[in-house]
Amino acid sequence: MKVLLLEDDVATRDYLERALVGAGHTVEACTNGHDAIRLGLAGDHAVLILDRMVPGIDGLGVLKHLRGAGIRVPALFLTAIDGVHDRVEGLDAGADDYLVKPFAAIELIARVNALLRRQPTDDVVTILRVADLEVDLITRGVSRAGQAIDLQPQEFKLLEYLMRHAGEIVTRSMLHEHVWSFHFDPQTNVIESNMSRLRSKIDRGFDFDLIHTVRGLGYRFDAHS
Amino acid sequence: MPIPDRYWLNGFRSGAFRFALLLAMAFAASATLLLLVVERSVSHYAEEATEGGLTSEAAILQAEDREHGRNGLLRAIDLHRRAGGDDAFQYRLIDHAGQMLVNDFGSSPVRLGWGSAVVPEDRTGPGARSEMFKSLGVRLADGSVLVVATDTYDIDDLRSRLDRFTILAGIGITVFALAGGYLAGGLFMRRLDRVNAAIGRVRAGNVAERLPMIGISPEFNLLSSNLNAMLDQIGALLNGLRQVTTDIAHDLRTPLTRLRQQLETMREHGPAQDYGAGIANAIAQTDEILGIFRALLRIGTLEGGDGRQYFTTVELTELADRVVAAHQPVAEDKGKTLSCDHAAGVEVTGDAELLTQMLVNLIDNAIRHTPAGTHIISRIEHIDGRIVATISDDGPGIPADERANVLTRFYRLDRSRTLPGAGLGMAMAAAIAQLHQVQLDVLDNQPGLRIRLTFPAMPASAG
Repeated sequence: MKVLLLEDDVATRDYLERALVGAGHTVEACTNGHDAIRLGLAGDHAVLILDRMVPGIDGLGVLKHLRGAGIRVPALFLTAIDGVHDRVEGLDAGADDYLVKPFAAIELIARVNALLRRQPTDDVVTILRVADLEVDLITRGVSRAGQAIDLQPQEFKLLEYLMRHAGEIVTRSMLHEHVWSFHFDPQTNVIESNMSRLRSKIDRGFDFDLIHTVRGLGYRFDAHS
Repeated sequence: MPIPDRYWLNGFRSGAFRFALLLAMAFAASATLLLLVVERSVSHYAEEATEGGLTSEAAILQAEDREHGRNGLLRAIDLHRRAGGDDAFQYRLIDHAGQMLVNDFGSSPVRLGWGSAVVPEDRTGPGARSEMFKSLGVRLADGSVLVVATDTYDIDDLRSRLDRFTILAGIGITVFALAGGYLAGGLFMRRLDRVNAAIGRVRAGNVAERLPMIGISPEFNLLSSNLNAMLDQIGALLNGLRQVTTDIAHDLRTPLTRLRQQLETMREHGPAQDYGAGIANAIAQTDEILGIFRALLRIGTLEGGDGRQYFTTVELTELADRVVAAHQPVAEDKGKTLSCDHAAGVEVTGDAELLTQMLVNLIDNAIRHTPAGTHIISRIEHIDGRIVATISDDGPGIPADERANVLTRFYRLDRSRTLPGAGLGMAMAAAIAQLHQVQLDVLDNQPGLRIRLTFPAMPASAG
C-alpha cells in the first residue's frame, strides 16, 4: 500500500520509512506542508501519516486542505504535543488517529494497518465470526463451538474490538483508547486482568487459542498461532 | 540602571528637585503678578491721598482768604509752612495784577487746575536736585491765583521699596525652594539608591535579600513591602522549581543508572548474552523514563491552568462506573475488592478525559498501596448540595503528618519505595483536581485512607 509520510525530522523520517517499507508499504516521504499537499492531491495514497509540527503549512493545515479538496484517505497525525485538546483538535480536522511521540514503530504499523483495514462499506455488521467463535452484536450472545459463553460488558467490548481487528496486531494503547476510552497510559493492569478473564472464558477448554500475546507489542486475535 | 558616581548630582537629577524648580518658576510668575496688582492699587491709593490733601489745603486757604483777607491768607500760608516742616506744601500766590506774592516754585509754570511741576529741592544751594511736584491751582475771590503743591516723593519711594522687597523675596523664596528641592531630592535619591542597590544584589543572585523601607511616607513603605511580597512569591516559585528539578534529576537517575548498567553488562558479556531480551529490557526502561517526562509535562500544563476553556458537561457517574469496572478485575487479581456506590446521573463541568485519569490514578493508588484483603469503595454522593466523590480503603492509611506530602511530585511513603511507579499519580490527580476547582482532601478512613473530592457548587441552571 502507498503511504504518504510528512515528517521534517530526518532521523525520524528514515526510521519510520524503514519500518513502513519493512511492513510492506511503499512510502512517499516529504518534509514540508506544500509538498505534502501537492503529493496528497494526487489521491493515490492508502493512508496519510502527517507530523503536526512542520515548517510552513503544518500537518493540521495540510489535512484541512486535502479534506477540503475531497481527499477521503484515512489520516494519522504524529505529534510531540500531548495536550488533551490537541488530540481533539486533530480529530476535528479530519484525522482518523493520533499518535503522540515518542512511539514504537510497531505501534505506528499496527495503527496504519488498522486504518487500512477499516471497511469503507456502509453494510451494518451484526454478527462477527472468527473460526468457531461467533458474536451477535444485537443480542450480545457469544458462543464458541456451539457452546454459549457469558461475558461481562467490558469483556464483550474487548472481544468485539479484537474480532474486528482479527489477524492484526492490536497494541496496548489501541486497547486502552478503544475499549476503555483511556487516552493516556493508566499504568495499571487493566488490559492484563481483563484479558486473562476473557481468555479463561473463550479459550480455556477449547481446541486452540484465539487470543495470542505478541511479546512487547500487544495482542493478536487469530485462529492461527 | 547604572548609578552615576558623581554623588552630589543626585539632588539635581531627582524628581523632587525638578518639582521644586517648577514650583519656584510658578512662584516667580505669581509673585510678579502680585507685585503688579499691589503696586497699582498702592499707587492709586497714594495718588488719591495726595489729591485729597491738596484739595483740602486749597479749600482751607480759600476760606482763609475769604474770611480774613489777603493778610490772613499770607499769615496762614506762613503758618502752614512752618507747621509742615520738611513735608510742607509748596505755595504760589499771584494777585490779579500778575504779581507773585508767594512763590516756592521758582520759574516752573504752574496753572489753574491739576498740574505737575519740577522744583529744585534746595532753591538756594548749588547742585540742587529737582523734584516732581503735584499741584492744584485755584482762583481766589479777588481774581488772584493760588497754587498748592506737594511732592510725590513718598509715592515713588514706596513704589521702589515695594519693587525691591518683592524681587528680594522672590529670589529668596526661589533659592529656598531650589535648595529644599535639592535636599529633598538628595534624600529621595539616597533612599531609592539603597533600594536600587538591594534590587541589584537580588538580581546578582542574593535571592534572600529584601528591600529596605523607603521611609518618607507610608505610600513609599507600601511600595517596599509590596515589592518584598513579590520577591517572597518569586522565591517560593523558584524553590518549587528547584525542588522539582532536583526531584526529576534524582528520580530519573535511578532508572537511567539501571539502564546504563544493563547496557554495560550486555557489552561486557558479548554476544553470549541474550541481546534480544537485553534490548527489549532497555527499551522498556527508556519508555518508563519517557513516561515520567510525559507525566511531568502534563502536570506542568495542568498547573498552568490550560484546558479550562474546553470544559463541558461530564457524566461523572457513567465515567466513574467505567473506571471502577475496568479496575475490578485488577483489584481481584491482587486479592482485594473494589466496589462502588455511585449516585445515579451525576453530572459535573470538566474534561472527561482528565477526570477519568484522576479517578484511575486514585483507584490505582488504592489498589497498589494496600495489602491483600483490602476493601476499596468508590462513592459519588450529594452532600450539602455539593457533589462529593470518595475513594476509601481499609488498608494501613497514611500517617497524619505525611498526608499533605502525598500530593507532591515524586513523593513516596517509605514502605512504597520498593514498588514500581514514579510517585506522580497523586500529583497528577491533585493537578487535575486543582484545574477543576475540586477540593482534594486526604483523610483518615479509620482505618485506612480516604480521598475526598468535593466538586465546586454548580450554578442552579446547570442542575
